[in-house]
Amino acid sequence: MNIRKLVWLEFKQHKSQLISGLLAITLGIAVIVGIRSISVVSEKAVAVNLDNLGANILVLPQASNVDNYYAADIDAPTMPEEYVDRIVSSNLEGVDNLSPKLTRRVKVGTENVVLTGILPKNEITSKPMWQQSGLLGNDLKASCAPSNAVNQSNGYEDEKLQRKVIDSLGADECLLGSTISRKLKLVDGSSVIILGETFKVSRVLNETGTVDDDRIFIHLHKAQELLKIPNQVSAIEIMGCCNAISDGLLSKLRNVLPDTRITTIGQIVATQIQTNKMMNKVSLIFLIIIIFVGGISIGNFMWANINERRKEIGMLRMIGFNKATIYQMILAKAFVLGIIGGIIGYILGTAAGVWLGPELAGLPVQPIPSLILISLCISIGVSLLGSILPAYLAGRIDPFKNMQEV
Amino acid sequence: MILKTNNLCKQYQHKDGLVDALNHVSFEVNEGDFVTITGASGSGKTTLLLSLAGLIHATSGEIRIKDFDVVNASDRKLSDFRRKHIGFVMQSFALIPYLTAIENVMLPLAISKFKKEQKYQKALALLKLVDLENRKNHLPSELSAGQQQRVAIARALVNSPTLILADEPTGNLDPSLSTDILNLLKKINKEEKITILMVTHSPLAAEFGNRKINLHNGCIN
Ligand SMILES: Nc1ncnc2c1ncn2[C@@H]1O[C@H](COP(=O)(O)OP(=O)(O)OP(=O)(O)O)[C@@H](O)[C@H]1O
Ligand SMILES: [Mg+2]
Repeated sequence: MNIRKLVWLEFKQHKSQLISGLLAITLGIAVIVGIRSISVVSEKAVAVNLDNLGANILVLPQASNVDNYYAADIDAPTMPEEYVDRIVSSNLEGVDNLSPKLTRRVKVGTENVVLTGILPKNEITSKPMWQQSGLLGNDLKASCAPSNAVNQSNGYEDEKLQRKVIDSLGADECLLGSTISRKLKLVDGSSVIILGETFKVSRVLNETGTVDDDRIFIHLHKAQELLKIPNQVSAIEIMGCCNAISDGLLSKLRNVLPDTRITTIGQIVATQIQTNKMMNKVSLIFLIIIIFVGGISIGNFMWANINERRKEIGMLRMIGFNKATIYQMILAKAFVLGIIGGIIGYILGTAAGVWLGPELAGLPVQPIPSLILISLCISIGVSLLGSILPAYLAGRIDPFKNMQEV
Repeated sequence: MILKTNNLCKQYQHKDGLVDALNHVSFEVNEGDFVTITGASGSGKTTLLLSLAGLIHATSGEIRIKDFDVVNASDRKLSDFRRKHIGFVMQSFALIPYLTAIENVMLPLAISKFKKEQKYQKALALLKLVDLENRKNHLPSELSAGQQQRVAIARALVNSPTLILADEPTGNLDPSLSTDILNLLKKINKEEKITILMVTHSPLAAEFGNRKINLHNGCIN
């Protein structure tokens, strides 16, 4: 028998009351953890975009916006594929690689997937104009050398970037994002029916943590045929050289393609950053709310518990427990409550994040183990804070008053 | 001499006015005494016991137990003093409902430096003394009233106190159980040489002590 054991036995005795005491703090922690685990992947996605696509440029139809592009709606606007040739033939300096795409949301089996038509690299570089422009190759690196190692090689050896340089893709072949391959239970070499036509999975792409994980890539011309949108594309992604972009590549492109919207991925990412900022703000607000609501509700629970135990506490004081020991007991209990609240909150929040993440952020969310530490710190901190006043009042309980009645 | 009071006074502040509960009470108790305190209801018996233990503050006067100045001690010192020197036995048993008999007995040792096993053995020995070894894992609700009071007595003894303060320990028990408890206290007084102050209403119980103090309106007769 020691103080810890005593606290534990009392705790077990009243465990049914726990729910009411812990509700607020658990929910608060859950919300924070949920938001955080979503915003972490979302931030990572931003980082991935920034890292890998860096100064990339997106050419979209005039009527389109970035949301349409990602949402790949049925009626998202398109533009002629011929624009690719226009860019190539305009011989702009700093255009390093480009990739026209046609994206539409389709059903494969029971799954919703984003079907993306792409043009493999061999078909772009084989265009005579492109070859003449001589922009491919080593001479580019110097002007385009960003600082990090990934981009030192212009990114082409980076796994995540490989989709940008799909060397070749047959008309009956497709590439699968990692998430969708798991959902459809497909592996390299399997076949899959898309819009009534059979495709062979030539490769499952590595996980990128971006929207690409949910996509199926087929040949652009095949996509145009199947979707009945001949000679049209939804976007042209341009791998531009950063220096060239700051030197006005964007406005030169706008001259070449006056009836399009031309933005950098940086701008697209900015909206995502905005969302993340907002989510962080919401977390912060929640943090403040749980400190107040959670603290008060734990304090209230503790006070009710102490009141119920007045007689017992009075008896402990009578047999020689001093005030400090009573404080210690109350705060130890608060500590245990904090641990439980933190753990349950973390589990609930993570579950919610994993479950809602794909819906809200369009990204697969993984549990973040390090958040459990933060949850515990917050929960224990709030619980202790809320219990200070009740502990103080418990110390003031008269040692005898409650002993006389039976 | 183990306990000495000098002109002990206690006035309760009440919204209807001051209540004189103890009036210049002076007495001495020697080591090994079994003192019974009698008196009509409201005569100040409980007030006297609580004052002796420092559980309420005397208004004036002196209390010394083994040279410890109860009246002027700090709360912390008083707590330590109670834990080390005083065992309580109350009319209402005052056991913790979610602790088993042996856990209740060990309770005062919770803040002591004894090892876990030592605490257990001490408590077990005392449960043997009060003849409840076979009920050690029972909760208070699973014990009879007399058994509960014996657990309370074992608990009062676990710190090897100098003094046991008992407030109507048999008040809730039927006569034959009362005799058991009184005999137990007597045995503790004799064998363990522990000084006992026992408040009682019953003239019969009062005969178990070797000295009697009778209170009347807060004064010793
Ligand atoms: N907290 C209090 N506030 C005001 N008056 C009190 C308080 N406690 C006790 N009294 C009064 O002090 C007097 C002594 O009370 P005490 O409890 O010591 O009597 P007692 O001798 O133990 O009585 P009983 O035999 O009925 O237990 C009583 O008149 C009582 O009304
Ligand atoms: Mg009384």
